[in-house]
Amino acid sequence: MRTRTSALIAGAAGLLLLLAGCAPEAPHPAGSSGSAGGASDDTLTIATTTDVVNFNPLIGNSRSDYWITNLMYPHLLSIGNDGKKKAELATKWGYTDTTHGYYDIRDDMTWSDGQPLTAEDVAYTMNAVKQDAPAGTYYGQMAHFASAKAVSKKRVEVTLTQPDTSVIDEIGFWGNVVPEHVFQPAGSVAKFANDGSSGGWVSAGPYVLTSKQVGQSYTLERVQHYPLAPGGTPGPAKVVYRVFPDVNTEILALQSGEVDLIANALPPAQVKQLQNAQGITVQEVTGLGYAHMTYNMDNPDLAKLEVRQALAHAVDYDAIRKVVLQGQAVSTGSSPLMPVLKDYYDPSIKEYSFDTKLARSLMEKAGYTADADGNFPVRFRLIYSLQDTVTASWVQLVKDDAAKAGIVIDLAWSERNTYLAQTNAGDFDIYAGNFAIMDDPVTNFTLAYLPKGSINYTHNDDPTLNDLIEQASTQTDTAKKISIMRKAAKLVHDQVYDNVMYTQNLYFAHSSAWTGFVPEPSELLSIVNPISVSSAHKR
Amino acid sequence: MRLGRGVLTIWFAVTVTFLLLRLLPGDPAQAVASPTMTAETRAALLAQYGLDKPLIVQYGIYLGQLLHGDLGLSFTQSIPVTTVLFERLPWTLLLTVTALVLTVVVGIPLGVLAASHRGRLLDKVVQVVGVTGQSIFVPSVGVLLLFAFGLMLRWLPIGGAYDVGVYGVAWYGSVAEHLVLPALSLMLVQLGSYVLTMRSTLIDALGEDYVTLARANGLPYRRILWRHALRNALLPTTTLIGLQLGFLVGGAVLTETVFAYPGIGRGIYEAVTQLDFPVLQGAFLFLALTVVVANMLTDIVYGFLDPRVKSA
Repeated sequence: MRTRTSALIAGAAGLLLLLAGCAPEAPHPAGSSGSAGGASDDTLTIATTTDVVNFNPLIGNSRSDYWITNLMYPHLLSIGNDGKKKAELATKWGYTDTTHGYYDIRDDMTWSDGQPLTAEDVAYTMNAVKQDAPAGTYYGQMAHFASAKAVSKKRVEVTLTQPDTSVIDEIGFWGNVVPEHVFQPAGSVAKFANDGSSGGWVSAGPYVLTSKQVGQSYTLERVQHYPLAPGGTPGPAKVVYRVFPDVNTEILALQSGEVDLIANALPPAQVKQLQNAQGITVQEVTGLGYAHMTYNMDNPDLAKLEVRQALAHAVDYDAIRKVVLQGQAVSTGSSPLMPVLKDYYDPSIKEYSFDTKLARSLMEKAGYTADADGNFPVRFRLIYSLQDTVTASWVQLVKDDAAKAGIVIDLAWSERNTYLAQTNAGDFDIYAGNFAIMDDPVTNFTLAYLPKGSINYTHNDDPTLNDLIEQASTQTDTAKKISIMRKAAKLVHDQVYDNVMYTQNLYFAHSSAWTGFVPEPSELLSIVNPISVSSAHKR
Repeated sequence: MRLGRGVLTIWFAVTVTFLLLRLLPGDPAQAVASPTMTAETRAALLAQYGLDKPLIVQYGIYLGQLLHGDLGLSFTQSIPVTTVLFERLPWTLLLTVTALVLTVVVGIPLGVLAASHRGRLLDKVVQVVGVTGQSIFVPSVGVLLLFAFGLMLRWLPIGGAYDVGVYGVAWYGSVAEHLVLPALSLMLVQLGSYVLTMRSTLIDALGEDYVTLARANGLPYRRILWRHALRNALLPTTTLIGLQLGFLVGGAVLTETVFAYPGIGRGIYEAVTQLDFPVLQGAFLFLALTVVVANMLTDIVYGFLDPRVKSA
């Protein structure tokens, strides 16, 4: 008996020792940057739903990656509320001819280790991305990029493989600039984790990452000099990103005062509730993307224009925007040139009317006869991602409305990876989804409507449309480019190559104790863009 | 013999995990890169991940690495899988072990109380609590607790494992404070099984001949209950602890999500969405090891509680 008791005690002690060995390790305090100028000692705590996957901004693929690395690695360009690119690190940019472009950059930016940020860093970043092909959006913009060269400390010249009058804007907007003296010794930029394990991080943004608690929080401290902040010094002394995977918990944390701001856009159903909550301010930000349905033209029925038109007229777009999105969306006029792209938007292109009688007559015109129940002999499978809760809500309305026009739609949901695989394989009749940022019309049309475009889900190949897109991609005269793109958009609308339904307005919640945010369009930039965060202050 | 069975179980789990992951629709390149990537980029990424090789070659390489203690590199984070797992593992251990200890410490006495008051009001109340506990869902309990104790009463923090910027002794206090609600949630959803199992097995034990004999010999009821009947009734509960470990880790995925707790359960969820095969393989290997070790420990404890099992 005694032996057994002793063994049990020994076992328990062993278990305790094992647990002690595995116990979480207490963190140690990091050094402080101190306050400077008119800056405060306040900490701005921001909630996000996802962890950082990668600290290398050239690879990064989650929103949190983007938000946090964006505070350290500047972009050449940003975007205004009118949809036009605007200066950030670059002061001037453009083309010298159709295959050569340039960027002139600021001369007052420095890395946090004291090294100046020069054109060499910009050219290195571009060439390294082209050579090492890291996964991510940046490399996706480099198709026609050949090389970049720093011709002075302030000027970078870019050579293209073929005429492309979007690439300078797109590389400038999507690509971060990284420090050559840190990234180059690490080897391939496609494999460099940049996780701070070799001496921390180096930043040329308003903040530098000083510590990370994986799964929990990321702490950034203010740099002494950031010329884009008011007064040249960022406001809050620290920015802490805290991870709350569940949106409901995130909102509770804001209401309880544990966080000051929620970085991700609020679900439509939560907007009104938080607008009425005491001590919370909800800020509207312009969306840069759209929700849409595309019809797979490899399907013989959907290859007929009248069938696509019938489907387009069998959707109550107004009801979707009012009921599902609770009025938080604007019509694009069924055009891929959204109102936010003010120069390109064409108000003469009108939204497809919701008219089930017209839809029926179009089906009859296409050669179909309805049965005794009023149904036409067609059946379409609509795919959508279950993770996209807004789309998952409106597809039911699409199905019900189509049924009124005698068209049967089967809804097929799946998780995101399966949905992406089905989309790429063309394994669907109707695709429902959305794009978060469609900032450059020519690039978007190239990807979405040219035969080899990677998001050409309709599988269309229209020589007239192809020609218009090719013309626009080599046109350096902005007015002419806009005119060509409007013709292309009209063709997409009239031929129903894409059924663009709305642009969702985005809403972000923050504590009313904070003010001074500078919103920019899209969820990626919103009120957590570097200039906004560094301009924020307590009332 | 027991060790051999354990190794075989782990090999089986490793192999099934390896094959199942590769049967998933989509591919890691698609999950990592932007939708606008070209076919060439996709091919280059798959080659970088070693997924361009035949399945049998991939399997051979994986087993070879495993035998050398190398779990590979995370596809998405470009850092060793062991680093990814060990950053999160301590938090899950802390949460699940605390929840398990709480459940046993509260569940067994409640079961004993119900059994010793069989048919009376107390027994009925405990049964209702037990059945309710079995039927509730972790996130629902979690959100309810957060709303009550985090937002309304403001007694406890809303999320995370500790407060940022807290060091030294205060850090341990912060860890304990943040542990209360997630551990309580996990405990509440498990408690029912322990209470009801304990109650029914103890009622059976109290009806045995040796209990009648002990009573006839004039032994105090309390001694019969705690020293004799409970010891026999503990056997199924011990088995339950071993079996529930798998459930505990499953429950931890949801609990860690609701409470923003930085454990391995959330890591698994994130790796699934990113199709990060090496991290998933490492995590499931860890889970298989946990279950195998837990079962071995259960067998050993069973032997102590019932010497007949040991001698058999």
